[in-house]
Amino acid sequence: MTREEHQRLYELVQNPPPGSKMEAAKEYGIDLTLNLRSLTRTPTERVLEMEAAMRFAEALRQAAVADGKQ
Amino acid sequence: MINFEAALKQLSGSGANFVVVDGYAATLHGSAYLTRDLDICYERTPENMERIVSALRPYHPRLRGAPAELPFIFDAKTLSKGMNFTLQTDLGDIDLLGHIDGLGEFPAVAVDAASMPLFGYSCRVVSLESLIRSKRAAGRAKDLNVLPELEALKEMHEQKRSSDEKE
Repeated sequence: MTREEHQRLYELVQNPPPGSKMEAAKEYGIDLTLNLRSLTRTPTERVLEMEAAMRFAEALRQAAVADGKQ
Repeated sequence: MINFEAALKQLSGSGANFVVVDGYAATLHGSAYLTRDLDICYERTPENMERIVSALRPYHPRLRGAPAELPFIFDAKTLSKGMNFTLQTDLGDIDLLGHIDGLGEFPAVAVDAASMPLFGYSCRVVSLESLIRSKRAAGRAKDLNVLPELEALKEMHEQKRSSDEKE
């Protein structure tokens, strides 16, 4: 994605056109800046980032379980 | 959690025909949702089912959630007698889907699949349009919940394409 494309999409994400799916998603509570950041990554980087977040969530879950046992 | 890279290496290395669908496909199209299992739609020819079996058998596939004593032989004959299998393997959870709600079987899923470079392999991933259609058809709360994000992503991809075409 070029710098100009990124800038244009960023503006769209910040101020989605009325009636657009982007506006609907924003109203639904979706943080589209996360999606935009993902689109600047390669497919492999998207997977690696998601897996890192998943590992973090799993570590938190296990910590909570261990805490509950004490 | 699935070892996606290793699973991809095994499946691609065996020459199996498959398309990545569902959660990992959403991630690959830019979704921010997390997923822990790999779902693939596989071609249901005898040759391809043999390839799937040879790719995954070393990782001891068994039916996820089933009692340990329930007999399960992971071979092409078993695959041919079923359709969708939810498996637990040494690589993590893998769902083998012969049929996808709203899309159908492998040929319909593969027809407009995107080809993406992943970990050094070229991997087919269900198109965003088809992913949206399948989520809508599945109709469960967890599927409908991701639709606003996927539809916004489709619009973002379209905006990006239209700017590509102007250049």
